Amino acid sequence: MANIICKKVSGSAKDLLNCTNAIWQTGTEMIETAATPLANQPSPYIKGVYDEEKIGAVKKIWMKSVHNADAIFFYLEWESDKPNLKIEDINVFADGIALLLPMKDIDKTPITEMGSKDYPTNAWYWRPDFDEKPKNQVAHGLSTSLYTEKSSITSNSKWENGKWRVVIGRALKANRPGEETVDLTPGEKIGIGFAVWEGANGERGGVKAFSKEWRFLELEA
Amino acid sequence: MAVDEKKLTDREKELAQEFAARKDDLRKCNHQVGMVMDLNKCVGCQLCSMACKTLWTSAEGREYMWWNKVNTMPGLGSPKDWQKMGGGYKVKFGGEVMEPVRGKHPTKKEFGDYWDYNWNEVVNNPAGKVHLQARNQEDGSIPEWGMNWDEDQGAGTYPNSFYFYLPRICNHCAYPACLDACPRNAIYKREEDGGVEIDQDRCKGYRFCLEACPYKVIYFNFITETSMKCIFCYPRLEQGVANACARQCTGRIRWVGFVDKPESIIYKLVKVWKVALPLHSEFGTNPNVFYVPPLAPPRLDQDGKLDMSKPRIPREYLRYLFGPEVDNALEIMNKEMEKVRKGGRSELMEILVAREWNKMFDKFDKDPAIMNRVPPKGVTYDRPGTK
Repeated sequence: MANIICKKVSGSAKDLLNCTNAIWQTGTEMIETAATPLANQPSPYIKGVYDEEKIGAVKKIWMKSVHNADAIFFYLEWESDKPNLKIEDINVFADGIALLLPMKDIDKTPITEMGSKDYPTNAWYWRPDFDEKPKNQVAHGLSTSLYTEKSSITSNSKWENGKWRVVIGRALKANRPGEETVDLTPGEKIGIGFAVWEGANGERGGVKAFSKEWRFLELEA
Repeated sequence: MAVDEKKLTDREKELAQEFAARKDDLRKCNHQVGMVMDLNKCVGCQLCSMACKTLWTSAEGREYMWWNKVNTMPGLGSPKDWQKMGGGYKVKFGGEVMEPVRGKHPTKKEFGDYWDYNWNEVVNNPAGKVHLQARNQEDGSIPEWGMNWDEDQGAGTYPNSFYFYLPRICNHCAYPACLDACPRNAIYKREEDGGVEIDQDRCKGYRFCLEACPYKVIYFNFITETSMKCIFCYPRLEQGVANACARQCTGRIRWVGFVDKPESIIYKLVKVWKVALPLHSEFGTNPNVFYVPPLAPPRLDQDGKLDMSKPRIPREYLRYLFGPEVDNALEIMNKEMEKVRKGGRSELMEILVAREWNKMFDKFDKDPAIMNRVPPKGVTYDRPGTK
């Protein structure tokens, strides 16, 4: 599959973070997402009682990415009839979306397992109730993801007419104590994956839709 | 019981393998603590609940939680109608196959509101102007359910109406359905005592455990976004002090000790005398909290005379709660009581009467005043697959 191109643009971080900015209205690319396989769920309960057919309400997302030499921005759009904005009750789950980046050699990093002990992954996790401060997390395989102490990821989001529109942004270089993450470099490419949770469908944790294969994201020099 | 392979469906085989693979992990504890509660002695005073609340759940998102509560039976309890919410296992082929049963999440409302009374308004207004009212702390609305909302309602008609109290904590099961459900290995059994704990550093609040627990004793903390429940007072046990609920119990209904040590009273009541039974053993999780079933006073007939033809609490109801073993347990108790009435001695009755309350807690008999109240180091320990 062709690489996703992250164009270099001249806009300010403030403008690019705006999810209603005209720049996001053209040139988006569709990414197919599918239910996480039941066989992979690290829980005999989930394996035993959940129905794979009913997992993964979101089938596709539209995305676009640009950078301005300092920071990178990801526009993500997907259909969600009923937005779940927060955990209002014990039986209510919030919507969410995440980017997944391999921290080392992409060929040795299984996307379906969120990495492995030696080949971890970095996720940028947005939820409507995170006050536009998505969490940075590191995973060394399924059931091991943990938020890092700090996150410099920011976002801007809006739900309207059955659609979520979210821009997630961050400085290209952010790896520092407390925020173990992937630094990005113009002129280079990196693997990228996606996961999306439809709260109204009871999706949380490993019960979600995800992109089954890594794509390459090429940052224009 | 050997499994007849021919009788197993592919799905059952898969489940059997799945369970076998995790069985050792699930049981990985050197000893198992447990508790016995004598329902004949519980007066429903909720001192246990208050001891627990004061110690563990007074703040930071835990306000609505009752890790210990006393429900009135028959009743809907807390969360409302929890016995019908599913979870646990369907045990097949003598335990070779443990098929998880889908459970439902209780809602916050079903667990119950928490409220205040308008004492100040009543006291500071002319008599009769303001009446006493309960208002929810969160939004001032009128409470609709609570942890013992159907208090003393019971069932039956006068003069043969009945109710009894059922104190409930986490059952610290041998096969905890919550542990099996957690995709993050955040739930584990403590090696020292088999207590089932939720590692707050690993929990991400996905709430699969709340679905899977058939006793619905796990709560969700909306501030920390983690699941929480009775911790069997492990920081106290570590210092030889019994659980707060047990120490505080004015009715002397609670014994604490090791289920697997023949010298412990728990072992005697559960395994030797067989008068202490798990609640809803059909849920398949093998609880480590056991109840001495209620005998209740005899019925009265139309003339007000004792009617011994049938028990006041329908046996069918007790079988529903405690299984068919309840018949044997009640028979043993009746027999032993009769022995004492005739002037004999009964080891069982001496245990149950509990003249010396500090003998009820096995080796956990130290005074809480001796406790070093430095906060515990935390519950994190490295389990397979977490690092």
